[in-house]
Amino acid sequence: MNLDLVHDLQAVYRKTLASMSCPGLISNIREQAGKLDWETGCFSSTVLLILMLLDTEKRFKVYSEQEEATTWLINQLTYAQATETEQADFVLVLNTARVGDLEEALRRANPGNLLNPHKGATVFVEADALSGENELILCGPGIAGASYISVRTKGSWIEARAAKNFEYPLGVDLIFTDSGDNVLCLPRTTQIARQEVG
Amino acid sequence: MRMKYQFAFFDEGSKREIRRATLKAVAIPGYQVPFASREMPIARGWGTGGLQLTLSLVGKDDRLKVIDQGSDESVNAVNIKELIGKTTGIAITEETGEATLIQSRHRIPEIPLHAGQILVLQVPLPEPLRYFEPSEYETKKLHAEQEYSGAWLMLFEQIMKYGHMSTGADHPVLVHKRYVMAPSPIPRFDNSKLNDSEALILLGAGREKKIYAVPPHTEVVSLDFEDFPFVVEPFQGVSCRLCGARGVYMDEVHDEETGETLYQCNDTSYCLQRLNEKRG
Repeated sequence: MNLDLVHDLQAVYRKTLASMSCPGLISNIREQAGKLDWETGCFSSTVLLILMLLDTEKRFKVYSEQEEATTWLINQLTYAQATETEQADFVLVLNTARVGDLEEALRRANPGNLLNPHKGATVFVEADALSGENELILCGPGIAGASYISVRTKGSWIEARAAKNFEYPLGVDLIFTDSGDNVLCLPRTTQIARQEVG
Repeated sequence: MRMKYQFAFFDEGSKREIRRATLKAVAIPGYQVPFASREMPIARGWGTGGLQLTLSLVGKDDRLKVIDQGSDESVNAVNIKELIGKTTGIAITEETGEATLIQSRHRIPEIPLHAGQILVLQVPLPEPLRYFEPSEYETKKLHAEQEYSGAWLMLFEQIMKYGHMSTGADHPVLVHKRYVMAPSPIPRFDNSKLNDSEALILLGAGREKKIYAVPPHTEVVSLDFEDFPFVVEPFQGVSCRLCGARGVYMDEVHDEETGETLYQCNDTSYCLQRLNEKRG
């Protein structure tokens, strides 16, 4: 591995921050992800996000076919503690998760409370593909007018997310990654509508 | 002994803490996210919040600009630039348009910021409700309940006492129709630059251990009343004595010999740029 934990993670952070402040902006972190050669059961881009944000002060929950092994690995890499979804600061729904796991994760994730809305969970979702196609229309802070994205995942997360984020400022913030090392962020402020066809 | 510091001074754990808080701050515009503020090699109240944000953001390819009340060369700006420069080796610039990261004390530059830039503002008092509520827990509750009568009452009292809203700087704003936020002690003149900004604006209060943010294209409205609308500092009929600029924020300079009042641009790099353009 020749990942530079200082400079590469800084570059990943700036790209993630750019995507979080401009929802719909898909950032690519292939340059940094390409330096990882670990077998982790996650996309390389997800591992970079984990290294960037998790440490001993945070708790996480993994949804994956290899949940136990991945949980152990993340704990070894970051010293973050595994916990149940309701208590997790970071919920990871990996590409190998079962159908329905994403909806369950969103339903059970901690939305914070009115005194401390920042305690709302951050949910990492490994999508099949992310693109700027006109499937979903986004609006809200960070977006001039509207922006367009397409997110291919196993589950239908839009309704579950809307239900969780119903009472702003409570809610969860989503960070999607895909196998092409793209990163897309959907903070709780972003409103999503489906593009009408025809 | 010459110490070799980690890139950007901080250990990676500190950066991680600040980065987590910053991402949450961006996700909840105007909400003050508490964070474990670090001890810094400059005194609290001298921009440690802004400095911590900048150090968590900065990378090898950044170009940094630091300003203190509009000036690139006053003590606070020079100290911070030197600390960041020496621990990162990155390029420092005075050109607003060239900078990728701008740390500022109490001004937003005159040259409009563009997409991709990040403005970091230093904040002494992040709590807009602190004036009438000393308890942190109580102000948190007031924010939770969106109970902002106190902020309005403060402005109302100023109108009753002085006939106008007398906030010299740090005039409270409403962000994304939800949180009342202290915009840091920028002059009222700069408040409108927060609204629908092209650049990401991050605010850091080191002593008070808070980070908050205004993402690009976010609605930011200065608090006012229907019959007492928000007004900025008036500079009508005034131009800069050096570059002739109008419609920018000015410093008032008294010439003791002649007794004359003169004006010059507060944003020194903007003024210099205009002078250089004039010279060709």
